[in-house]
Amino acid sequence: MTMPSHVDMQPAFILHARAWRESSQILEVFCRDHGRIGVVARGARRARSRWAGHLRAFLPLSMSWSGRGGLCTLRSAEPTARSLEVTGMRLMAGFYLNELIMKFLERGDAHPELFAWYVQTLEQLAQDHDTEAVLRRFEVTLLREVGYGLNLTHDAVDHQPLDPEQTYQFVIEQGAVPVGAGQSGQLVFSGADILAIGSGVYSDQRKLHSAKRLLRVVLDHYLGGRPLKTRQVLASMRRCV
Amino acid sequence: MSFTPLLQRLLAALSCLPGVGQKTAQRMALHLLEKDRDGGRTLVEALDEALNGIGLCERCRMFAENSVCPICATERRDKSILCVVETPADVIAIEDSASYSGVYFVLLGRLSPLDGIGPEELGVEILEHRLSGGEIRELILATSATVEGEATAAFIAGLAHSHNVPATRIAHGVPVGGELEYVDSGTLSRAIGARTSFEG
Repeated sequence: MTMPSHVDMQPAFILHARAWRESSQILEVFCRDHGRIGVVARGARRARSRWAGHLRAFLPLSMSWSGRGGLCTLRSAEPTARSLEVTGMRLMAGFYLNELIMKFLERGDAHPELFAWYVQTLEQLAQDHDTEAVLRRFEVTLLREVGYGLNLTHDAVDHQPLDPEQTYQFVIEQGAVPVGAGQSGQLVFSGADILAIGSGVYSDQRKLHSAKRLLRVVLDHYLGGRPLKTRQVLASMRRCV
Repeated sequence: MSFTPLLQRLLAALSCLPGVGQKTAQRMALHLLEKDRDGGRTLVEALDEALNGIGLCERCRMFAENSVCPICATERRDKSILCVVETPADVIAIEDSASYSGVYFVLLGRLSPLDGIGPEELGVEILEHRLSGGEIRELILATSATVEGEATAAFIAGLAHSHNVPATRIAHGVPVGGELEYVDSGTLSRAIGARTSFEG
């Protein structure tokens, strides 16, 4: 879908902002109907900016801009609700979501369902949900939305529903292939674990750990060697504390 | 207009300053060459001396001409309170407010995970060394009120906690002399959320 040259009152979130020239910012924005876009906010870094305090991540905004392709020019940005209170170290999980969107979504590709899921994910991060489970559900949804959906319900060989008791080797771009019970390896899981990843319901830590193991390999595969900076920063933060 | 090579180089060099574009650089260069060559020479000397003579304080990472900056070296400052800020400009702003008598730690940035800026870039090792020294009894988090500033504050609070040092966060709210109707909604909601009991 070609983006019109004027877009008004679009539900949006800022994923990332970086300084541009003397007093402006370039914003990476994720919006409902046009996906990821780049927007210039002129004068955003001045002390008396007209956007005063509104241009920050995790704040639900209604944005209007002009221009298409490349960089657009921000005309207005109003908060539509109170900021989703993602605070403290949970912000790191929020940054991780934002980086995933920036790395996996092409500019201008609309993903309204992923947008809705992003809002829901931020709400869960703001509440007291298990951060790890929230992130794994988002990763599975993101992969599906961008066309790398994983088959987490059926056997890749005979297309039968997965047996919770059976052991499977997960082959990237194919799916779960049954193997002998004694097998081990990075991508060997029980059927129950794979089904849990597909449903997003994690009844124990082992399932959550399996999900992290699988999704990390799959995400890295599709990122094609591009590192996730938030993951690296988080690792060095853990080394400090 | 084509400038001579030396003038072109001078214009390009002046443009590295904030707020200086092509036109301003041209005005500055022509002024120095036409009217104030002595001023230009003084500028060169001062710049050269400053760049060679100013480093970072080994205790707080503020600019310093010796191994320790004047604030850390002063006897009168309360060394048991440490205020963590993002930039030297923040130190100057707090000093100008004349409301603080403790010492500082300058991060020279803030956590920005999407840009790959993590704890190593913020001199966290030096901060940890100070926290483990047992001298500090309060750490004040004065990072900015942006999401990156909040993440930085949360991380450093964790660090302080692991060394049993209580951490406090500076308040966010209505500016003094400000009228409520002109205060942005984000600040106002913070101000209401963090209201304090009124002792008139």
